[in-house]
Amino acid sequence: MDLESLLNTLETTAHSGQVLTTEEGIVLYNSLLLLQNENHFRNIYFWGRICGVDKDYFIAYGYVKDALLGRIFYYSTNCTDWGLLPQPSEKGKILTPLCITKFQGDPALVTDILLDKDETSVETVLNAPQVRQLKEEDRLACTVHLINEEAVIVPRAALFKRPDGVVVENLSFQGLERLEAQELKTYLHYRSPRNKWNINLLTRSDYNYAIDFLDTIDTDIPDGCWSIHISAGGILTVLKSLYWPGFIFYHKIGTPKYGYVYFGNGKKCIDIPFMLTFF
Amino acid sequence: MIFDYDDLKKDDESGSGLDYDNEFTKAKSFLQKSSNLSGDNVYDHLTEVLNKILAERPENVIDFFEEYSRKVKEQRFIPQTDHLEDIYVSPLRYELANKFMPFLKPAPPEEASTVDPEDLDIADMSANNMLQLLYYFEQAGIGIPRDEMYAIMLSMRRLIKSEPIASIRFWGKIYGTFKNYIVVETELREDEYLKEIEELEKQKQEEEMALQAAMQADDAVRLGDIGDIEVEAEEPIRKDKKVPRHLPPVPIIQFEEPPEPPSEFPGVGVNKKVYYVCNDPCHPWIRLPDVKPKHIVVARQIYRAFTGNLDQEIITYPEFPGTEKELLRAQIARISAGTQISPLGFYTFGGDEGEEEEEEEEEEEEEGGGAKIKTTYKESKRYEPVPMRDLTDGSMAFWVHHTLYILPQGRTTWWNPYPQAGGEEEELGEEEEEEKPKGPKLEPEIGPPLLTPLSEDATLEAVPPWSVRVSSRLITDYALAIVRSNLWPGAYCFSTQGKLFQNVYLGNGLKYMAYNFTPLPLPPIQAEYPLGPEIMEMSDPTGAQEEEWRIAHLPKEKPAKFGEEEQAEEEEEEEEEEDDD
Repeated sequence: MDLESLLNTLETTAHSGQVLTTEEGIVLYNSLLLLQNENHFRNIYFWGRICGVDKDYFIAYGYVKDALLGRIFYYSTNCTDWGLLPQPSEKGKILTPLCITKFQGDPALVTDILLDKDETSVETVLNAPQVRQLKEEDRLACTVHLINEEAVIVPRAALFKRPDGVVVENLSFQGLERLEAQELKTYLHYRSPRNKWNINLLTRSDYNYAIDFLDTIDTDIPDGCWSIHISAGGILTVLKSLYWPGFIFYHKIGTPKYGYVYFGNGKKCIDIPFMLTFF
Repeated sequence: MIFDYDDLKKDDESGSGLDYDNEFTKAKSFLQKSSNLSGDNVYDHLTEVLNKILAERPENVIDFFEEYSRKVKEQRFIPQTDHLEDIYVSPLRYELANKFMPFLKPAPPEEASTVDPEDLDIADMSANNMLQLLYYFEQAGIGIPRDEMYAIMLSMRRLIKSEPIASIRFWGKIYGTFKNYIVVETELREDEYLKEIEELEKQKQEEEMALQAAMQADDAVRLGDIGDIEVEAEEPIRKDKKVPRHLPPVPIIQFEEPPEPPSEFPGVGVNKKVYYVCNDPCHPWIRLPDVKPKHIVVARQIYRAFTGNLDQEIITYPEFPGTEKELLRAQIARISAGTQISPLGFYTFGGDEGEEEEEEEEEEEEEGGGAKIKTTYKESKRYEPVPMRDLTDGSMAFWVHHTLYILPQGRTTWWNPYPQAGGEEEELGEEEEEEKPKGPKLEPEIGPPLLTPLSEDATLEAVPPWSVRVSSRLITDYALAIVRSNLWPGAYCFSTQGKLFQNVYLGNGLKYMAYNFTPLPLPPIQAEYPLGPEIMEMSDPTGAQEEEWRIAHLPKEKPAKFGEEEQAEEEEEEEEEEDDD
């Protein structure tokens, strides 16, 4: 969510029930601008809030040149003092989904994670239950990474790949049309593409090399893991991920205004097969 | 290219000078050569693109040059003179505006009625200033779009005029995968509850009658069936004793369903409040049915996302007895029971005046169940606002539950499925005394009483049940205390320095589970027949064993003189063999 939208979350993210309070909005609006200036970011965005038991984490990111690969994340517990979010470690990526406690709000806290004897996601075979440790800061970084990989989306044509390979925001993005906005195919994962470039290109007939380089979300499994609402009488499209409850993407149809934000407790919901009706 | 070409020319026609005009015309005519696919040419296209760029003067245009070029091309395919454009396409919000407009017109002036306004019995809406509420919501970090909030307020005003409602409150919003539910919590007028109870009892009697009739009919049919089977089965056996063999009797289902606890009466326990929902504030409100204990029991065992369609079938294991309507009602009851809280001392049991106490006792006796739990409370007149420091205290000792805990049985008061004769259980309702299935004496389930502080709440799976926040760190004079539930993500309560407080739920109606959801395992398979040699699989005898048997059963050596006898013996042998099989 860009800085301009921070002060008016009531019309956008309120469609999922959560907003930034007036105070948070104002503080973020100013402190993020300072952060942008310090780091010489071309653009800075508010990413979301992860609720902890004692304190909440606020996450923001900016980029200098590349809007896809060059994103640098910052976090804060009070909206004013920003710290660099560490790179997600391989160990952390494995342990984070296994951690069942809630975020506390203390980045230095070390949590013990009990690995079952027959845990399969760990690289080695365990002969006995094991306890491993994970720092909350690393856990936060991995959670943000996972959400970026699985939930964060942009509308088609909002990102533009220049001939030199650098991804920038498309200045000539005019917004989606009404019919387009109701299709999952027009929303793309904001992550390094996992599919081959020609697969993503050939999913549509009106392909364009510069804007169809990201994975579309219509192939996500299972069918129905994205819920798409056309709200406010048809002028706003709101997408929510069932995997990450609390993630909301909004786009004002026909305008270049779009954004996403995550307001949640940082826990992935893996119970989707039980939650949906498939027949 | 032209440059190179120039050089070449220089070499060829040295001295004669360049024929610039000629070259220019040649180059231009090349650029103007139209494509034989689309009919476009580069010259016109570049002119148009440059024209567009110069007219719009966008920033860093070189980075998006291709995009611009493409857009100009696209533009060309849109016919400039389309005679079909007479059809007007309505703007995006048209439909909503159309639906919303009737609400926005001021109501026609009412006829001056002779009834005193106080007797009109219209619920008090003064506590439901939704825009004020929205202001507090926003401070608490939650919200509903402003126009929707306004529409809800208008819609609630309509509801109280059309339904016999004594009090109304905005309960919250449940987000579904296709549509969302807006929920309001109401209390009906006393006489309305009584009417409903009467109706229920009438219905119950009718059902019982129907059930008895059905059972009698059923018995008759069953007896008839058995008779038929016996007759059919007996006949062939008499003719030929060996084949087919006697079949064991058809197994009888021995599982007896445990008696279903009766639902609580309207206006009591989990059915104390009546809930109305709608998908959109412009749509009519739909009343949710009263919750039955079985709905709550099953709702606790399943994990289901709401779709937004009240008639959606719920296909789960264990089977949910109803549609999404019932599930929604059960979840609302669970959420209310778990998350409706108030500052300490705001409500009391009202033990000050003697009369009220008596009334309360009477009510309790009416409810039955022999409960000694107080189920009514009222606003305390001597309430002093709890200071902010206490409200935001991490121990949560200054917040209390004001909705009754729902027992595992699915009721707020325990119902004994196997009432014992005599003793304490005499207070039980009459209908339970009529039939007394003998059963084990059960330990009554008990929950925490009303107005228990939150500090008594159990910590489940290492998740502290509540988190508390102050809405502002800068302007503490007007800050709100915000309590959010960690077990029901989306349940909030805020309080303005202890004076005003409100509970609200904005979430997807699902409980937090630290270890994720595990469906109930299937019950063990029942034994069809008692285990015995008749139904056990045996291994066939080997050749050697058969031979042994044959030798052991050899006929005693007799002087075989009469052919008839021999034949008879052989027959006997055969019979024996068959018997042993």
